[in-house]
Amino acid sequence: MNAKSTTAVPNAGGRRSFMGSLGRHGFVWGLLAPALIFFCVFNVVPLIWMVGLSFYNYTLTTGNPPMFNGIDNYLSLLSDPSDWSAFSRTFLFMLLTVSLSGLIGSLLGLVFWGSKNLPGRRIALTMLFTPMLLTPASVGVFFKLMLNPNFGVISYIAELFTGHRVDFLSHQMSAQIAVLLVDVWMWAPFMTLITLAALASVPQAELEAARVDRLGWFATLKRVIFPHAKFILMLGLLLRTIDAFKTTDVVLLLTHGGPGASTELLGMRIYRLGFNSLDMGNASTMGVVALLIAIGFTSLYLYVLSLKRVEG
Amino acid sequence: MSEFNSDNIVDQRPAGGMSRRKLLKMAGLGAASIPFLGSSALAMAKSLKGASINLEILGLAGWPPSAMSTKIGNSMFAPYAQKKLGYKVHFSSAQAPFEQLFQKAATSLATHSAEYNLLISDSQWLGAFATPGWILKLNDIIAKNPDLNIDWYSDIVVDGYMAYPEGTKSIYGLPQEGDVMVMYVRKDMLEDPKEQSAFQKKYNKKLPQTFDEFEALTWGDYKDVMEFFTRPNDNLYGIGLQYAKTYDNFSCYYYPFVFSKGQHIWDPKTRNVQGILNTKENAKSLEEFVALQKYNPPGANEVGIPELADLFTKGKVFSCIQWAAMGPTMIPDSLRGKVMVVPPPAFDVNGEKKRTYTLGGQPWVVNAFNSDEQLAAVVDFLKYWYAKDTQLEFAKRGGNPCVKSVLESEGFDDIQPWFKAYKYMLSNGRTKDFWHDPNYAKLLNVQQEAFTSYAAGNAKDPQKVLDYVAYQQQKILHDAGETKQAPKGSAPSLG
Repeated sequence: MNAKSTTAVPNAGGRRSFMGSLGRHGFVWGLLAPALIFFCVFNVVPLIWMVGLSFYNYTLTTGNPPMFNGIDNYLSLLSDPSDWSAFSRTFLFMLLTVSLSGLIGSLLGLVFWGSKNLPGRRIALTMLFTPMLLTPASVGVFFKLMLNPNFGVISYIAELFTGHRVDFLSHQMSAQIAVLLVDVWMWAPFMTLITLAALASVPQAELEAARVDRLGWFATLKRVIFPHAKFILMLGLLLRTIDAFKTTDVVLLLTHGGPGASTELLGMRIYRLGFNSLDMGNASTMGVVALLIAIGFTSLYLYVLSLKRVEG
Repeated sequence: MSEFNSDNIVDQRPAGGMSRRKLLKMAGLGAASIPFLGSSALAMAKSLKGASINLEILGLAGWPPSAMSTKIGNSMFAPYAQKKLGYKVHFSSAQAPFEQLFQKAATSLATHSAEYNLLISDSQWLGAFATPGWILKLNDIIAKNPDLNIDWYSDIVVDGYMAYPEGTKSIYGLPQEGDVMVMYVRKDMLEDPKEQSAFQKKYNKKLPQTFDEFEALTWGDYKDVMEFFTRPNDNLYGIGLQYAKTYDNFSCYYYPFVFSKGQHIWDPKTRNVQGILNTKENAKSLEEFVALQKYNPPGANEVGIPELADLFTKGKVFSCIQWAAMGPTMIPDSLRGKVMVVPPPAFDVNGEKKRTYTLGGQPWVVNAFNSDEQLAAVVDFLKYWYAKDTQLEFAKRGGNPCVKSVLESEGFDDIQPWFKAYKYMLSNGRTKDFWHDPNYAKLLNVQQEAFTSYAAGNAKDPQKVLDYVAYQQQKILHDAGETKQAPKGSAPSLG
């Protein structure tokens, strides 16, 4: 074999393997491409755009081009009490709605799990899941109508007990409670669904063993059910947390963030800044901060998943 | 809500069920009243011969006059354009509620899109649309088309719907629909002898009965009437006002208490707010306005335009101050003959009766990114729209024209029950607009939040509320470079 042939063979082999590799990978990339293009166009590009805009002073209606202002928007966010209020309200709302929907949803899940032979169980479950299938905007509108102090059915029922029309949405505390309860009404069924999925993952043999050993209800829950169900339940709670953090549409339709700003959650504030004031710079800044917080929750979610893999 | 189905409303108008022949007749009448020849638009129209054009109008969802522009465009102008101008035109509409209309328009115009060829705008948005160059300055078009050089009913029309900046001769809009605040009262209750004698017995004076008697009333006088009809046990209240956070509801209803007393909300020349808005007088007015909630039905803080219409048409309030443009909705067939429309109460200012309420209504503006063909068709349509017969047809269908010759034509006051009050309030000095400024949305956001906080009892001190609003608005205008005066002092809290 001469030098020419020795060099030619690897080259030819390289070309073949390159083509082969291209063929193999090309197929894979071909399959991935639509999703990747979609992801880049609708997620990555707007995200980069938003991060960039957060360093600019840019209000659409002034006619001025975006003006770089460094971290002014971030400093302004840090010093604006209204922004801080929106953050604190959102975290409080998140804590309460996740706790309540988690508690109510899990209890309902346990009830349905323990009543597998109950007649009408399927219909009851379908009805129970309906609220989470509705669009939040329509939920906001019809609860607004039901809570209307002059025409609303809830207000009418409240009058039967209190003797006077209750004006739920005009006062700070009652409006906040109304927003919270509407959200719990919508999302507690999701936790029921998660709980049922979690309970289904408990091996039947272990439950039977617990029965044979005459383990008490609480001990069964703690030692048999919970170790199997905890990951799915935690994932459910984390998904609810991320979802509650983003809540905007129900508030927009139900109270518009009012009275005053008493129900203005973070999403609603970003909406008002971006689409009412058209202040793209400050809205983007708030969006970036909200995104970082959401990334924090997602990391926690991924950590929980990794825990499950380790234990598994 | 069914009351806001513009189709229903328009169908209730006399012209709602017109036959094709009648429509063509109307189109012909409109044509006869428009002397096109000789204008430069003729040249544009010639170039459109044989063309087929689609025009999209962006308007207010659920707002009857807005919907009428497309309907009149298709039912009257389109046959006219085909017959007389030689081109086909079709109108379509895009709509958004008040609150979302601005963002829908602005986000489209910001991309230099000609998606909406003609946009129904709110009067306060002229600055926001004109400053970035999104809409056409109309002076040249008006100069070249004498049919658009119209004698308007009052200076309010020009100042409110057309000029930007205020007080200049730069024209950016034309009035699509004039609108003012009027008071709708239940005439059947006023005429009830039992009510009359009960009122006479309680207050030792007679219930007002006529337009002139209401015109003479001050808020002080009207308090007795409101109190008399406030009967929570019967689920009836004296008056309905708007206190909602939505869009500009609260602000529009608070401003008459400021304007009528000779106070101001800012200085349009210096663009300063501090020291002008947050005066003791304005704080007292805010307190007075919110105190009227005791004569309003429960949930007043959530009442905006549609909620108020619901309350009135369902008999929950004896009277309400509402926009004249809502006339077709406020007086459905079931209330025809039972409602009287009068000027809202005057303010007693040092013994003089003053009345300056907030301007409503919408101009339409022309997209600066229209093609030549689209622009030519838009100009033709606008000329057709302002022809006297078209305007009278608009009035018959429930719209509020602003053309002087139309408003002063014989029998105009009788076309709709609210027209007499509409004309009265559209007269100079009785209505005023606010803020034609690019930062309008930001300024409004700040005060709607603060004012409704006060109305809901979250903020207790009206003076602190105004101090907060004045500081924030001064900051917005200073940051935007509109005023050199930075906000004074440290940022106040709402309290």
